[in-house]
Amino acid sequence: MTQDNRSGRPQGRPPEGDGRVSRGEASLRGPFLLFFVSAVVWLLAASVLGVIAALDLGSMVGVLRDCPWFTPGRIATAQQDLFIYGWGFNAFFALNLWLLAQLGRFEFRNGWLAQLGGVAWNLALTYGVARVFAGEMSGYRLLDFPREVGPVLAVAFLLAGFWPIVAFARRPTGHTFASQWFVVGASFAFPLIYLLAQLLVLWQPASGVVQAIAHSWFVANLLQLWFGASALAAIYYFLPKVLERTLTGYYLAPVAFWTFFLFAGWTGPAALVGSPVPLWLQSTGVVAAAMMLIPVIIVAINILGTLSSQGGWARAWNDTTLRFVSFGAVAFTLAGVLGGVFAFRSMSAVVRFTSFATGLEQLLVYGCASMVVFGASYFILPRLTGALWPSAKLVHVHFWATALGFISALVAWLVGGWQNGQLLANPAVAYADVLRAGSSWCLVLKISAVLVLVGHVAFALNAFGMILKSSAPADSGRHD
Amino acid sequence: MKNLNTLLAGVFLAVALPFGALLLSGQSQLGGLGRAAGEEGGALFPSREPGLAIQGRAVYVSLGCVNCHTQQVRPAGQGSDIARGLGVRPSVARDYALQPQVLLGERRLGPDLANYGARTSPINVETLLTDPASSGAVWHPSYRFVDAAQRTALVAYLKSLRQDYPSPEAKLKK
Repeated sequence: MTQDNRSGRPQGRPPEGDGRVSRGEASLRGPFLLFFVSAVVWLLAASVLGVIAALDLGSMVGVLRDCPWFTPGRIATAQQDLFIYGWGFNAFFALNLWLLAQLGRFEFRNGWLAQLGGVAWNLALTYGVARVFAGEMSGYRLLDFPREVGPVLAVAFLLAGFWPIVAFARRPTGHTFASQWFVVGASFAFPLIYLLAQLLVLWQPASGVVQAIAHSWFVANLLQLWFGASALAAIYYFLPKVLERTLTGYYLAPVAFWTFFLFAGWTGPAALVGSPVPLWLQSTGVVAAAMMLIPVIIVAINILGTLSSQGGWARAWNDTTLRFVSFGAVAFTLAGVLGGVFAFRSMSAVVRFTSFATGLEQLLVYGCASMVVFGASYFILPRLTGALWPSAKLVHVHFWATALGFISALVAWLVGGWQNGQLLANPAVAYADVLRAGSSWCLVLKISAVLVLVGHVAFALNAFGMILKSSAPADSGRHD
Repeated sequence: MKNLNTLLAGVFLAVALPFGALLLSGQSQLGGLGRAAGEEGGALFPSREPGLAIQGRAVYVSLGCVNCHTQQVRPAGQGSDIARGLGVRPSVARDYALQPQVLLGERRLGPDLANYGARTSPINVETLLTDPASSGAVWHPSYRFVDAAQRTALVAYLKSLRQDYPSPEAKLKK
């Protein structure tokens, strides 16, 4: 677990840049921008669908009411798929590639292969979502696409998402940094879990409830090992980089990495407490979710510990990148702690089948992963495009709209879910009264969906404006 | 941490071990489940699905009903499912053994449907789909675009859902 330190720089701090756009960085421009622009387009599409779903337009507006495409079940499914596979994957293809190219001084000579993978990924996703709108979906959340889409996505992932591993293998120095471990782990784990889940759920369906076990295993792995690990990689990079400081207790980071990967894969059945699956499976999931507190605590020591010393929070607040990244770090910690506590049977008995699980999931994929990607974009795009962000006001609108929108939605999911669960646990309360009691939270969710859309539009306008303006070649210099 | 092969081998094990322990063991424990009699010499359950119910399941999936409805009854002590009358006993793995696609569901925005076929006064699904307000389910979306044949198949599927027969495992679970 020891790292070489031939460069003589302090442990727990990524290598310094040279202040100019390197050849390696310039070689990433094409693939990075393809992934990034695709990610933002899908994010906007998912946000619009999110507003349609939250406002329940499919049931309210006459023209839409009789249109099968706007059925709540299909809108919700398409929205999730666009957000996870459109935004989440494209964004981390871009970010993971940039991170490992930076840390491994990687010059990307075969960028066209990654771009080919990106195009294939987006075409397969478009086809899959079109089929979802047509009602041809599998019924398994996040494995909704018809089964022929799965192999195409897997091949596209290998073309688009495997390059960080190549960058790691070809790094010129022996030294490694925590971000590299997490990205290599995420890039290697996802194709394995995706192909195995496709096999057991769609191609050769396991018998009976084993399908549900396989599905819960896949969802937990997807969320933790792709979104969680990729977001952690970026948090471990940007915090010490921007603060120009070493991480507190960095020597614990290898333990965080291995315990995170060791326990995350077992947490799936925690989502099945009370379901008709063997008790030993449920208990394994609960124990694993509690054990995830080990990496969560170490990450908190590394990241929140660093932020809490020498005015770190104040500096993070005044830096756009760190403001988003710190938000993500806090969300990760909260997601880990709540995930561990609410996996226990007595807690799960209350919140099962309510919006609480949605809240926990969104805490990881939006509060942590998406906010980290936003923060990273503010750092990376000026370097790759050689342009400045066109509007500081839009940056503020982006942060406040997404932060407030997300926090209000999170409160609605978690507190509303808890209240909903307590009412459901009381058989004396009629089902209609349970639904009626939750209607005020629905209003909060409507407002937050609109707020988040506003934030995403501000981000997209700023980012696209910047990319379009950057006609200058990428090696014209760096503007922070 | 410097060696790529060590890193990849560790991550591979981190994926392979839970896969083997949770899924392959789960399959070996539950994969052989079939129909069984609750009491010696009794009828075999679960019943085989009629053909129309199989078509109805496809309608259920294509409308995304699984987003809001569950099909599972938790044991007493784990929620109030039985006290609420969602079923007379908790669901067991054997109840789903003949289902080609298991739709347990994760959210209960609408009522659980594991025992829709056993309800004594079930809601009229035809009315629920075409005019939810008149059937008292004001929160239920309208599905007027669903044609009559699909509605019939969906009703047949929902009526095939029942877990009120005796089950050897449910006795143990109680």
